[in-house]
Parts: sequence; C-alpha cells; structure tokens
Amino acid sequence: MNTPVPHPMKTLERIPQFVVTALITLAIVNLLVGVFLRYVVGGITNYMDWDPVAFTWVEEIGEMALAWLTFVGAAIGIRSRSHFTLHLITPHLGEGMKRAIEIFNHLLIAGFGLLAAWHAVTLCKLNWSLKTPGLEISLAVLYASAVVGGILIAIYAISMIVAPKAHDPNALH
Amino acid sequence: MLLFAVAVVFVVMILLSMPIVFSLGVAGVAGLWLGGYPMQQLPSALVSGSQSWVLLAIPAFVFAGGLMERCGMSHALVELARAMVGWVKGGLGMSVIVVAYFFSDICGSKMAEVSALGSSLMPPLTKAGYKKADSASMIAAGTAMGMLVPPAIFMIVIAQVTNTSAVTLFLAGFVPAFVIMICLMTLVYLRARKYDWPVDAKPDLVRLAKAAKEAAVPLVVPIVILGGFFFGIITATEAGAVVAAYAFLAAKLYYKNVSWAEMGRIAYDSAILTAAVVFLLAVASIFQYLMGVQGVPKLLGELLGPLKNHPWAFLFVTAFISMLFGMILEGLPAAVVLIPVVFPIAEEMGIDPIHFNIVQTAAVGIGLFMPPMGVGLLMALKFANISVGEHFPTYLPYIVALLIGLSIIICIPEISLTLPRLAGLIK
Repeated sequence: MNTPVPHPMKTLERIPQFVVTALITLAIVNLLVGVFLRYVVGGITNYMDWDPVAFTWVEEIGEMALAWLTFVGAAIGIRSRSHFTLHLITPHLGEGMKRAIEIFNHLLIAGFGLLAAWHAVTLCKLNWSLKTPGLEISLAVLYASAVVGGILIAIYAISMIVAPKAHDPNALH
Repeated sequence: MLLFAVAVVFVVMILLSMPIVFSLGVAGVAGLWLGGYPMQQLPSALVSGSQSWVLLAIPAFVFAGGLMERCGMSHALVELARAMVGWVKGGLGMSVIVVAYFFSDICGSKMAEVSALGSSLMPPLTKAGYKKADSASMIAAGTAMGMLVPPAIFMIVIAQVTNTSAVTLFLAGFVPAFVIMICLMTLVYLRARKYDWPVDAKPDLVRLAKAAKEAAVPLVVPIVILGGFFFGIITATEAGAVVAAYAFLAAKLYYKNVSWAEMGRIAYDSAILTAAVVFLLAVASIFQYLMGVQGVPKLLGELLGPLKNHPWAFLFVTAFISMLFGMILEGLPAAVVLIPVVFPIAEEMGIDPIHFNIVQTAAVGIGLFMPPMGVGLLMALKFANISVGEHFPTYLPYIVALLIGLSIIICIPEISLTLPRLAGLIK
C-alpha cells in the first residue's frame, strides 16, 4: 500500500530534508574550520607568541548541529524506513492485521515524540537564561532540538498512518 | 521486576515490527513511568546522548565513504589487490579478502562495502569458475573481518558507550584485522588447492606499479588515519573532517565524476544514516539510566561471578553473546544495549578496555555475517542469488576461519594492544 502524498505535503516534506543536508554540511565544514584554527592559526600564534585564538565555539556549533541533525533526521527516517526493524512475525500475518499493527506502532511512536517534546519544553524554560561559554547563546537552543524533533517525529508517524508508505521489497530489514 | 516489564515491552514491540530504536524508546518510557522516575529524564537523555564531539566523526566518515565509493575508488583498490595476490593459486579469491581490508579503510558502512565488493568482484569470480556460494562466502567473510579496520562507525559508538578513546581503538584494530585476514587467506589457499581454483594473473611488476598508482588516491586515507593517530597529531573527529575534505577534493579535482546534485544526495543519505545511529545511542541512554538505577551491572557481575578468575572465558562468553546480538539485532543495537552492561565487569576483572572493545567489535562483525539472519550475509547472498540453506555448507569453513581468528585475538591481548602501546596511547 503506497498512498500518494498530496503535492503541498511534498513541498513541506522537502524542508526537513533540506535542513538535514544543510546541518551535515555545517557540521563537516565547522570541523574543518576547527582543524584550521587548531593546526594553522594555532601554530602561527604560537610561533609568533601572540594571544591564542579561542575556538570553543567550534565545538558548540558541532555538537548543536549534531543534536539538531539527529532529531530531524530521526523523524525523516520514520517515513523513509531507515530505522532498523526486525520482521519476524508480521510477514506471516494477513494484510488487515499488518495494517492494524502498523497503525498501533505509529501511534506509539507519535506518542513517544510528543512526550519527549512536551518535557523538552520544560527543559528549554529551565535553561533559558543559561548561556554557552563560547557562542554565548541560550542553552535553550540545544534543548529546542528535542522539542522540534519530538513534534516532527509525531508528524512523520501520523503521516505513516494517514498516507502509508510501502515496505521496500528489496530491504533486508 | 521493573526491568522484566521493560524487557517484555521491548521484545513485544520488536516482535510487532516496531523499529528497534522506538521499541527501546517505548520500553524506556514504560520503565520511567512504572518506576516513578522523572519523565524529564527522557528529553534530557535524548539531548545529552546526541550532543557529542566524538560522534561528529560519524557524519564526516560516512559522507567521505559515500563520496569515495561514488568516485569509483573501490575499482582501483580491487585492481591493486588483484595485482598484489592474483598470481597465487586462488589469487582472485584472495584478492577479495585483501580488498576488503583496504576498502574498510575508506568505507564506514558494511552494507555499502558488501554492495561495492559484490558488484565489482562477483562477475570476475564467476567468470574465473568460482562457485557462487564460494564467492559470496569470501565477500561476506572478508567484510566481517573489515569491521576491525578503521574508520568503522561501530568503533566510534563502542568508544563512546565505554568512554574509551576512539583513536586508541582505531589504532588497535589494524593488527587483529590482519590476523583474521591471514586466517581467511590460508583457507582460500587450501580450498584453491582442493578445488583447483586458477591463478588470476601472472606476476607482473608493471601491472602492480600501475595499479598502485591508480590506488594511491584512496590509499592516502589509511595513511592519514594510521599516521595521524600513531603520532598523536589528530583526533578521530578531526581525522573524519580531513578525510571528508580529501574525498571532496578528490571527487571534484581528480575524478571529476560527481555532480553537485549527487554530492547533495550523498550528504542527505549520510545525514539520515548518522541520525539513525546517533538517535539509537541517545534513546539507549534512557535504558542505560534505568539499568544503572536498578543495579543491573552489579546483578550481572554476581551472575558472571564464577567467570571472574577466567578473563578469557568471560571474553569468549561475552563475544558469543555479542555475536548473537550482532546477528539478530544488527551491530549497533548490540553496542548500545549489551556493551555498557558487561563493560564494567570486564574492567573489574582486569581485562584491558581496548582489548575488550576489539574482541566485541570483531564478534559483532562476525555476527552481522552469521547465518541464518545476519543482515550483511543476506546482502552478500543477494548478489550471489542463492538461499541461506544452499550457501551454508560452503560458508561453514569460512565461519570456522573467522572464529579461529577471533579466538586468537581473545587469547593473545598483545595483538590488539601492541600498536596503541607503541604509539604511547596506553601503558
């Protein structure tokens, strides 16, 4: 069963896809900037006996990019079925039962996402006034990844209920 | 009792074909709720589990591996391996094992590796008269061995969950992988004599020099990793960045066969794979929290007490369990669920953490290619178009060779520890 996704939904679906591609690019380029600052700029300032250039912000950007990438990517992975799954019993069941289990599973996944998002809002509020040492931005930016990710997990899980996507017959898991 | 309920929820969810990561998540939430633990632990564990400098090596290595595979670097490595060992009896078969060692250096994903080796080596193997079952066995066993060759995602994850150095683990993997490679090559040689497999090509220094020149571009990667780590000038995450930049430059300036759109697609695929891996680690940290507060490590410590005076027996038992986990649950869930529980016991018994991690990495790698349901093996069999049952009798000697290699690694810790020790990373 592969219900076609309506056109405006397809456009919306592209936004998180673009976001994760941008985030992985940012994460890798940021790592390279870190290598440049540590080995080239650090070497020069050391040699010239100048004040060292601070680059704790590189670590902060990298870690935040990874946290956001993880949550948004994990949500996309629900629809692209990229999370590892074992199919031991379900292949032997009838279509109706399979569909019922699929709906039950995705309702639980949506609930998991919403629960994570709900409690992450509290964490955001608690960390609102705390700043990161390098970038000096609110720590809530980090915890907001769980809020947005949790909501996206719920949206993608519900999308699998209203517009299911077929299993890849060539998939190994 | 609480953990029993959590385990039941986890198993039921898995049997209902819920993705493993969400089975862990739902079971974890059930555990927090039943145990009366604060539910804020859920987002807190998820965020702290996914916010890690070391894990940033994963997207970098996965992107680099995808890009290098797309450039066609695997073909250059196949040609080099054939030029190196093709002149021995059964040389083409041996070159499968050699190329699996090289290729693991540039490719972080086992599935991508099986796919690359299957597509480039299955046709020449069939043409040379190798049975399909033997070809699939060589590819499967070679790739299983490659689990120990850096930069494997599994090693980064296991380093993270056991709080050990990824650099030390990477460096420790080269020699044990070589030991298993020798075991497999010996088997291929013996089978070549028994079944009269042909010589692939005559010894040809010109061909070897040409192949080495072609393979020079991908071979820079292991040199950067081995040299950078050995001399302590680079961290695992930084090595990932350097390798990714190198792959990008090689694709754009040397191979010139990857468009921007394809590169975007590789970046997107790498992001989704990274997210699946890191999210699994993050969700599993809820499980680890529950096991910690419920005193599971202590309980397991008492259970495995009789083995305490026999570290090698402990390693054999845990390696066997890891292998089963690797076969049933794939590699990474094994790392995040099992290893954090047994690692403290191993440390308490005086087993070197790096030796322990190398043994578990090798075991999980073999598990991935273990019949009847290791996903790596199933992938290799797809290329050969034969069933697990048809393949098993031929594959059995290869499994034995892999297990002999694993046993040698278990019994002689120095195989894993010598290189990191020479580099001054451990005492």
